[in-house]
Amino acid sequence: MTDMDDLDAIRARLLPAVLPHVPFEGWTARAVTHAAVDAGVSDDELLRACPNGAADLVAFWVAQADRDMIGTLATRDLKKLKMRERIALAVRLRLEPLAAHREAVRRALALQALPAQAARTPRQLYQTVDAIWHAVGDGSTDWSFYSKRLLLAGVYSSTLLYWLNDSSEGAAATWAFLDRRIADVMRLGKVGPGLKRLTDRLPDPFDLLRRARR
Amino acid sequence: MSRLPGDPEPGEAMRRMIRVDQAGEYGARRIYAGQLAVLRGTPAEAKIRHMADQENRHLDMFEKLMVERRVRPTLLGPLWHVAGFALGAATALMGEKAAMACTEAVEEVIDEHYGRQSAVLDGDTALKSAVDESRADEIQHRDTARASGAHEAPGYEVLTTVVKRASKLAIWLSERV
Repeated sequence: MTDMDDLDAIRARLLPAVLPHVPFEGWTARAVTHAAVDAGVSDDELLRACPNGAADLVAFWVAQADRDMIGTLATRDLKKLKMRERIALAVRLRLEPLAAHREAVRRALALQALPAQAARTPRQLYQTVDAIWHAVGDGSTDWSFYSKRLLLAGVYSSTLLYWLNDSSEGAAATWAFLDRRIADVMRLGKVGPGLKRLTDRLPDPFDLLRRARR
Repeated sequence: MSRLPGDPEPGEAMRRMIRVDQAGEYGARRIYAGQLAVLRGTPAEAKIRHMADQENRHLDMFEKLMVERRVRPTLLGPLWHVAGFALGAATALMGEKAAMACTEAVEEVIDEHYGRQSAVLDGDTALKSAVDESRADEIQHRDTARASGAHEAPGYEVLTTVVKRASKLAIWLSERV
């Protein structure tokens, strides 16, 4: 693993250097080259840390933003919050630190939408929603593990798109949007228990079979 | 047994083990639930309930590890939910002895499976102890089933072969999917 940490250390030097270039150049080879010069990263270090160029830096950025979000959440007292409030807080803490780099986030989405990134982008989205559920203390081990991640992926990505074009003070409109999306999902959650109540009213077929066997 | 080229890397191998063990204990719980749905109120109930309680304890152990280590559960959970219950209920409907034959066959496969895992788990004491503890109970279940007349079940050979094949397939799938 030391090898990987070593590469991440190079990426950690490159990332802050590349961000100022991205609004002008996009996540391109040229931006990365500029960043390498600015950060004093040599050509062979650059090749080792980012064999796929800018896409590797985007991936590192996403992972780092996830880690930062987990770190900030760990300092908050989540016990008093309801699950939906925890999720809203986590999404907010994930996006807020990126406010200064909104244009770079937009450009990163453009890169992630390319066919060459088709395999990587969903994985990064999964890692983000997985990090959020883990950080808010969800311990599901059944199929709801997947439904939760799927639903949050929808909430998170729509909120991200809304946030990119949100010019309200302190992105207040985005957080209101986020609350509404979570409310939508909560409504969906009420269908499940309703179905269960319905099936509970039906006779138990095994009870009938058991009686038939006697 | 050392790692060969093409084998999953150590972290993934550990995740696969937890995934398949959680799925297995979940399936076991469902099998016993299926048996109990049919055999409730018969003399076999206490025996089955005791085994089911132990499976629940194993399931708790593996689920705790699963959450701690951020292992994703198998996608086939809903399938095991239905298939486990159906297997338990179907064999129980064939009679108490057939239910025991099913238990014996499943636990035999699980014993082998845990044995294989335990042999390669040296550094990972938390997982190894969970596996060893579960294995000891599963062997007990197998012996209980034998003592309860599993071998006298109708169509014993065919039944156990089918159940064993199905269990092995379930293990193979749950590791991967």
